[in-house]
Amino acid sequence: MASCHDVHEDAAVYHKTNKILLMGNPNVGKSVFFSQLTGLQVMSSNYAGTTVTYTEGTMELGGRRYTLIDVPGTYSLDAVSEAEAVAVRFMESSPLAVVCVLDSTNLERNIKLGLELQRFNVPIIYALNLVDVAQRHGVQIDAVQLAQELGAPVVPTVAVKGEGFDRLRQELEKVVSQPGFKPNFPAQIGDQWQLAKQIAARVRNSVSGELSFFDRLGSAVLQPWPGIPIALAVTLASLGVIVQGGKTLEGILLILVENALVPFFATLFSSFIPEGVLLNVLIGEYGIFVISFEWIVALILPYVFMFYVVFSFLEDSGFLPRLSVLFDGIMRKLGVQGGSVITIMMGYGCAVPAIIGSRTATTRKERLIISTVVCFGVPCISQTGALISLFASFSPILLVLMLLLSLVVMAAVALILSRLLKGDVDPMVIEIPNLLMPNGKAYLKKLMLRMRNFALDAEGPMLIAIVIAAVVKETGLLNFVAGYLEPLVSSWLGLPREAVMALILGVVRREMAVAPLLAIEGLTALQAFVGGTVAFLYLPCLSVFGILAKEFNAKVAVAIGLSTAVSAFIVAGVINQVAQLVM
Amino acid sequence: MRHRHRNRHGQKLGGNSCCLYYAQDGRQYVVASAPEVGILKSLGIVENAVIQKKLTYRMGGPVLLKVDSSEIAIGKDFAEKIEVRG
Repeated sequence: MASCHDVHEDAAVYHKTNKILLMGNPNVGKSVFFSQLTGLQVMSSNYAGTTVTYTEGTMELGGRRYTLIDVPGTYSLDAVSEAEAVAVRFMESSPLAVVCVLDSTNLERNIKLGLELQRFNVPIIYALNLVDVAQRHGVQIDAVQLAQELGAPVVPTVAVKGEGFDRLRQELEKVVSQPGFKPNFPAQIGDQWQLAKQIAARVRNSVSGELSFFDRLGSAVLQPWPGIPIALAVTLASLGVIVQGGKTLEGILLILVENALVPFFATLFSSFIPEGVLLNVLIGEYGIFVISFEWIVALILPYVFMFYVVFSFLEDSGFLPRLSVLFDGIMRKLGVQGGSVITIMMGYGCAVPAIIGSRTATTRKERLIISTVVCFGVPCISQTGALISLFASFSPILLVLMLLLSLVVMAAVALILSRLLKGDVDPMVIEIPNLLMPNGKAYLKKLMLRMRNFALDAEGPMLIAIVIAAVVKETGLLNFVAGYLEPLVSSWLGLPREAVMALILGVVRREMAVAPLLAIEGLTALQAFVGGTVAFLYLPCLSVFGILAKEFNAKVAVAIGLSTAVSAFIVAGVINQVAQLVM
Repeated sequence: MRHRHRNRHGQKLGGNSCCLYYAQDGRQYVVASAPEVGILKSLGIVENAVIQKKLTYRMGGPVLLKVDSSEIAIGKDFAEKIEVRG
């Protein structure tokens, strides 16, 4: 499970002989280079941390195939961080050549890394990226002089628009087609920082530039005013696009499912299977071929798709680090730091990549807090989609209340854990990337990859849940279990007996703790909200359980699972009892 | 605020050197001392580096700096430990 998100270090990659490395600072657009050069599916992000692990792809140059490796972005090669250690290992593994991406808008620091790379005596081609953004900021860089200063080719590029890649390939081919080619770098005298600054000053010319709408927006979002209103507006607009887009897709798919897919399988199976348990398991009310289409295709998929459409866009545009800056003050009061906003937002898609993404946290305490917050207070998009469907027949107020509940739970969990757990949380240090219109190709590839990951990761557990649902319901096992859980479900939570199904299935996947409620007729608004609350807080899904055990240990996974389940019954029960009293 | 700051760090404001967090916005400073933290070093926030402080976010928020040509936000707890000269 979750195999696509798994991170494993393949030692063999260090020994490959036809390696070309792609290196550079974080946020320089390296991943866009990778997707342009390899044509393979790849994740590309504008914020620090996505490329904690390397990505590998095949690249063709002059009819020969090479392995291009997207090495984690680093600011230096001091090997102080894990990413830097990996970068150093790659440099020492005798690659054929290095493509070092330099950010024209942050020349000093990028040149410094470029100089550091030279000590490994591997041929380097420098790609001077973001020359368009630099120009708009009134800076022009003399690539010819920079090439002289660095003693290696420098190719100006605008990666998001695909400009400069032909020349980059040519320069690369020149180097790799000569076996034993040795670079001839100038001797470096003195401190590399000083040297980098001197070089930057020599190659940089002032020109008149005009900031684009995105450049100005990027600066505006960083100011509390109008940044916070813009951030809220963007968040609300994103939510609106996800919900409305999801609903529209859901409507279209439901027509398809109800009028074509389900009747087709119903006719097919009833033509050769006699009426009875088997037929019901296949096409009954909870039949495998009924709910797998109704739930997965019509209810879940549209929202997952829309979430990644919006999230990938925000991610690639450079908007998310700005959110981190704006919300650092609040996050700090909760015992974490602003950077965790990105991880938490990722959790609204799926907790698995969010928990892996929490590796960017600098201390174990911070990682644990963020992961627990995501497990407790952040419903994944599959579950959100199911909740939207559940509340749709009542009032949008329920959805707003659920959102508020989610925020309260998140804050409470973070506050409690930051006091309870030993250790420190480091303050935020974040570099703000340029706000950019994402590159269409890299964006679409990322979207495709995410949908594929979702299909591969979620399909298994979903089918398991659906088979369990069909068997439990059609064999009468449901009524049997319901008898035992009656006091909890009916008296304490005030839910109908059938809601037990939600508790059984919710163990497997989070949205499955909601989906059975959709099938119950005559649910009141309170019951829907209480049922939704149980589902929202209930167990993390099996995949999340697995990733918690792997990234932390089994004890952490069990502790989080137990505490979420217990709090689900307490919180939902209290809501029910209080509401009963008031009403 | 001023009083608290002095208590916590034992330093006077307005002198030659003060901590970055309480330094005035919109001015250029030279780093007098910075914590030995890898990420700060990598981003060029080291002794004698010239930095421009652009903004202090309220309610315990970070400070926004311009170091060379890049924009960097630093959480309050680090910004309080970075000493700068005016």
